[in-house]
Amino acid sequence: MTGAFDSLTEAELEDRFEAADYVADDRTVTTVNLALSLGRPLLVEGPPGSGKTELGKVLAASFDTDLIRLQCYEGLTAENALYEWNYTKQLLAVQADEGTVADEPTPAVDDPDPGADSRDRSVFGEEYLLERPLLRALTAGGDDPPVLLIDEIDRADEEFEAFLLELLSDFQVSIPEFGTVQADQPPIVVLTSNRTRGLSDALKRRCLYLNVEPPAFQTEYEIVRRKVPELDVAVAAEVCAVVGRLREESFLKQPGVSETLDWARAVAQLRTDDADRPLSADEIERTLGCLLKEAADVGRIDTELLETLEAAAAAADERVEA
Amino acid sequence: MARDNPQITQSGASPGYKPTDTGDDVPDFGAARQHTLVELVRFASDLRSEGVRVPASATLDAARALAVVGLGDREGAANALRATFLSETTDTDAFEAAFPTFWHRLRSGLDRIATAHDGPEPGDGDDGTGEVEASPGNSAADDPDTLDDADPPELSGEGNGEVEVRIPTERRHATGDRAATTGDADARRYSAVGGRERVEAAVARLTDDETAAIDRFVDALSTLPGRRRRRSTTGDQVEARRALRASLQTGGAPMELPRSAPSPAELRCCLLVDVSGSVLDTVDRSVLLSFADRLHNTAREAGVFLFDTDLVEVTTQFAGADGDPAAALRDAEIEWGGGTKIGGAFAALRDRHPHAVDRRTVVVVVSDGLDVGDQDTLADSITWLAERAGAVVWLNPLAVSPKYKPESRGMATSLPYLDALFGFAEPADLAEAARQLEHRGLSGSVGYEYDPRRADSGGDSA
Repeated sequence: MTGAFDSLTEAELEDRFEAADYVADDRTVTTVNLALSLGRPLLVEGPPGSGKTELGKVLAASFDTDLIRLQCYEGLTAENALYEWNYTKQLLAVQADEGTVADEPTPAVDDPDPGADSRDRSVFGEEYLLERPLLRALTAGGDDPPVLLIDEIDRADEEFEAFLLELLSDFQVSIPEFGTVQADQPPIVVLTSNRTRGLSDALKRRCLYLNVEPPAFQTEYEIVRRKVPELDVAVAAEVCAVVGRLREESFLKQPGVSETLDWARAVAQLRTDDADRPLSADEIERTLGCLLKEAADVGRIDTELLETLEAAAAAADERVEA
Repeated sequence: MARDNPQITQSGASPGYKPTDTGDDVPDFGAARQHTLVELVRFASDLRSEGVRVPASATLDAARALAVVGLGDREGAANALRATFLSETTDTDAFEAAFPTFWHRLRSGLDRIATAHDGPEPGDGDDGTGEVEASPGNSAADDPDTLDDADPPELSGEGNGEVEVRIPTERRHATGDRAATTGDADARRYSAVGGRERVEAAVARLTDDETAAIDRFVDALSTLPGRRRRRSTTGDQVEARRALRASLQTGGAPMELPRSAPSPAELRCCLLVDVSGSVLDTVDRSVLLSFADRLHNTAREAGVFLFDTDLVEVTTQFAGADGDPAAALRDAEIEWGGGTKIGGAFAALRDRHPHAVDRRTVVVVVSDGLDVGDQDTLADSITWLAERAGAVVWLNPLAVSPKYKPESRGMATSLPYLDALFGFAEPADLAEAARQLEHRGLSGSVGYEYDPRRADSGGDSA
């Protein structure tokens, strides 16, 4: 439908992800490829820290286009997301216009104030418009379509979700004073959601759906190795094994991939000597703050669990595939 | 959804379709295309009949997606269909269960079309699709994949043993008018599979004070300042857009400044009432029901669930209760009074009604926390509930006792995840809870331990 990515194959997309150091499984590659070639928005759902936002960034980086990011929050309105009138400029224009209006002939009786009408038109023109992310994504020129990342759509309220529908299905928005703005080139749209509330069927219908789960051991190991090259490879495997074991506990906030990376960097940072010594329980306990972000979760770590984690780390080597 | 099937069968053997096979060596691409579309539509309707919410336009998208990824790779096709048919993680299981059947029917149909082009006879294409149109049951039975995937029916035999729980029945009689228990026994036996009975309760007439107490509690829970703004004469912010428009009347001099104030965001309520035998013996049943009824009527979009060993949604029964919820529940043949598996009930809420709870929902649990189910299930599901809900407030009938401590297994497991734990045996307890919430908010120091009546009644704070 868009035409821009018709010839894109999964292998090419995989190469681009590879070049951007983004480790993606087959499901992600297929779904992203479909979203690009069908010209549909992509809805990515998953727990925090599972690489949803990163996907948008990597897409922009690997196609070498602009990333336009809209962070959603409760109470987000059209004025913050789409456009706003430059009120100061408008007010000044209206006031500057006052002299000329006064010099005009007295208005006819049936038309008490035609001057107001003409002023009204003039100050609602393009030059008084401040573009916000959504409008910028539609009007961005250039050879390649920009990537529009609508982050954490579940944080915005239902009203905002409804407002997005026109944009997502037709890549156009209507501004009451201005008319309809149509995208020269439909942007690549990625929506992310942490699944804190159900999204409306109307929104979901317009998107392709990708569910991101915490990665399997091998995938996560691959990610850590690429993103934290300073960490010894054997220790990287241990790090992933410990995080994998931690995810089996019921914590308020499960550690995601981003926590794994933080922790891997922390471990690498603290090891000034003896870089390939195995992870110890003491080391895990000291750096736990990188992984667990809730007091209640940290409180649940006791000696017994630490020993289990240490055992998981010790068994990590065998799980690494050649 | 059952009526979809005949339509599909019709379109599969559509009389308008003419086989393009002319008897040479070229496979019948037209038939293959037709067959793929028919199977897609049938797959979509199979998913719908399993309760998956497949959007109306999804079949079109799925067909386009298949055209992109091709039919050669099973996993690739599955990914394409997941991206287009699914929009909920909870639907994944249904998809995984139905996909092998779809794939088998699709492939075998295509193989037949590919091999059938040697000796085409009139109606050959129809025969091919006709075979594939065997009822889902038959083809599923033929398919070894499907059989492998089928799980044996799950047996829920655990936790049937009897457990002994000690219930402190010494009650505070601060208000005196409605003692909930007789206080003659301090230990009772409950069985996890305790006999259920039909819902019986007298219609309770709440006094005005009691009604007001419940309303105040709901209000305290559900009104928070929102982030959206609305017009207000006393608002704290100027509305620039309207100010500018108004200034056009006065030649650009803003004479009046329209103002806006935050509009209150109402939270929804989700009420989970434990109707196990132990709770029913502690709390007056008619009070329990009229509390649920009043809360359902007052709160915005309140959902009501009853649970003992199983969870059942009774929102519609309460909606049609007309002042007598007991009768409505009886008419719906809902029973109560079994054992308690709190974890199982929360897990059922997660699996069957995931959208009953979201960030804008306050979950109110009425339960004594005497859980005989699996503690790991409880820990998992209360974690989910706490993370998902705006707040979780627990009303414990036992916590009205001055000596109460949340030491029972279920309560101790749940406690770290709760925003507040209050005692509840009669509406007056809710007035106290509402008072604390109004003063200190949900994030403040609120709970049964801050109830001033506790100290009055002689219980020591230790």
